[in-house]
Amino acid sequence: MEDGKLARGPMIAITLLRVLVGWHFLYEGIAKITSPSWSAAGYLKQARGPFADIFRWLAAQPDLLAAADSITMWGLTLVGVLLILGLFTRLASLGGIGFILLFYLCNPPFVGLFYSIPVEGSYLIVNKNLVELGALIVVLASGSGVFAGLDTLVHAVLGRKRKTG
Amino acid sequence: MAGDDEKDKVAVPPRPAGGRKLDRRDVLKGLSTVPALGLFGYAWQKQRQYEQAAAGTEQAAAAGDVQDVHVALLGAGAQGQVLTDAMLRIPGVRFRAVCDVWAEYNQRRVVNQLQRFGFQVNAYEDYREMLDKEKELDAVVIATPDFWHAPHAVDCLKAGKHVYCEKEMSNTLEGARAMVAAARETGKLLQIGHQRRSNPRYLHCYRHLLGEAKLLGRIVTVSGQWNRAVTPDLGAPERYTIPEARLKQYGFKNMHQFRNWRWYKGLGGGPIVDLGSHQIDIYTWFLGANPSHVMASGGQLYYDPATHEWYDTAMVVFDYDTPAGPVKAYYQTQTTNGSLGYFENFMGDQGTLLISESEVHAAKVYRDTNAPPWDEWVQKGYITAPKLQEAVEKDKAAVTDVRESVSPDEHKVPIVLKDPYHQPHLQNFFDAVRGSATLNCPPEIGYESAVAVLKVNDAIEAKSRLSFTPEDFAL
Repeated sequence: MEDGKLARGPMIAITLLRVLVGWHFLYEGIAKITSPSWSAAGYLKQARGPFADIFRWLAAQPDLLAAADSITMWGLTLVGVLLILGLFTRLASLGGIGFILLFYLCNPPFVGLFYSIPVEGSYLIVNKNLVELGALIVVLASGSGVFAGLDTLVHAVLGRKRKTG
Repeated sequence: MAGDDEKDKVAVPPRPAGGRKLDRRDVLKGLSTVPALGLFGYAWQKQRQYEQAAAGTEQAAAAGDVQDVHVALLGAGAQGQVLTDAMLRIPGVRFRAVCDVWAEYNQRRVVNQLQRFGFQVNAYEDYREMLDKEKELDAVVIATPDFWHAPHAVDCLKAGKHVYCEKEMSNTLEGARAMVAAARETGKLLQIGHQRRSNPRYLHCYRHLLGEAKLLGRIVTVSGQWNRAVTPDLGAPERYTIPEARLKQYGFKNMHQFRNWRWYKGLGGGPIVDLGSHQIDIYTWFLGANPSHVMASGGQLYYDPATHEWYDTAMVVFDYDTPAGPVKAYYQTQTTNGSLGYFENFMGDQGTLLISESEVHAAKVYRDTNAPPWDEWVQKGYITAPKLQEAVEKDKAAVTDVRESVSPDEHKVPIVLKDPYHQPHLQNFFDAVRGSATLNCPPEIGYESAVAVLKVNDAIEAKSRLSFTPEDFAL
């Protein structure tokens, strides 16, 4: 990738990956927006691992919690739409990585931690959050929005140069 | 291929600084993933429709007309109070009279309550006097002790009133038969208070889950219970004691018997009748057949036999020959531990229905692993999406055994009764009085239920398996 170019095949695959991750973000956001009783409080209160105290403290601050809830539900939705459309893809990927990192660190499947909340699989350090985070790193690095997405148009109009297409 | 490879490289074409002209290729590439958003929108909308279907199933039918019905309450004890509270929520019910032999307490309490709601009710101790004087009554709601049901209902029907009568219909089959005969002879309505027959949750399960969707497949076994914690005997303040002469006049030996008539032979039927009657009625209803045999074990295991003549514990097995095949149905009631409360549980070769009047159990269906998928019924809102299985603690020492069944999916039945339990059944009665509905529990059904339930006490006494003949249920 020294020359900043990827073959068409891998770019199509990465674009598919981008749309799938975007779809997931979008529905996670919309499902929270349309569920009137949703709050991150439960998830935060369950926090474990090295940053648990911070997350639990956040859950105990009503104003901050309300802001965190709004940021989460609307942020997930926005990131999802942008990823699907391939608009501001790098920014959206960074945002998505930020969200997932927070989710991951809030309830990390570290060795020796035991949860009472149901999980649908078996995880040791690596869980699906981390895998999705990895997927967004690939999207971020490839600039897939310029290959197929509204970034193509943005780019064309602004004419800004990118290392990769 | 080297040239192809070069062509396949995707790179931003060199552009002059400050932008360049868009070509068709840019636009196509730019919009190439927009259809995914459209697809998402379509999928989301569908999903919402299915979720809303579940919510819509709950909604009650629109309110009917509110033609007034003039009502008297006969029997103002604990159950009369429950029915009164439910009736106060039903539009068009006009209370005219209250009758109770305990004039010092029960009668006064309910009269005072109804006056607070603006009803000028007359109070009576003798129901005959009430029937003589209250000429404008349309209906009488009876919640007296079981042994009074037959004379009260028959006399009210013969006086030209429609009757709602609490279960058990009667403590004797002769009494129950006389009630059926009186209803047929007078042409007046007689609703028996098996209130689950009008409960939207039970109706939904009967009509949709068992009838339309046949979720359980072939029902083979049924179990159910009503477990109740130890309850002390009911007492009465000294100053409200009923004079002995009046107690005798109405068939009670003393105040203890008056307050605790359910435990006495000849007056009530004990827990199997007070509690089991409701649920055994559901067995019969859902199975579509009357039982063919009953065996039972029970006894006076805990309470003082002198003041608790009926069995405080009963364990019963009924046989049913249903149109679909033979069924074994277990029922237990015990009055010394309330664990797990009350429910009925129907098990077929494709699924299980656990249903209860109480919100503790509400209703759940479990899809057995060999059943066809139930997504269609989730989409229609008949049941909720399956509950996510919780991670099971793995027993490292155990080896997975092929004889073990995979645990079934749990679906909830999305019907919640927000009204008092008895309200829909009373509503059905008043609708029938107004001519806009048919009774959900006419006396013929109440009679069949009484035949099945009263025989349990016989079977406990006989210590053997008793059989029913079709003539037992015939009227």
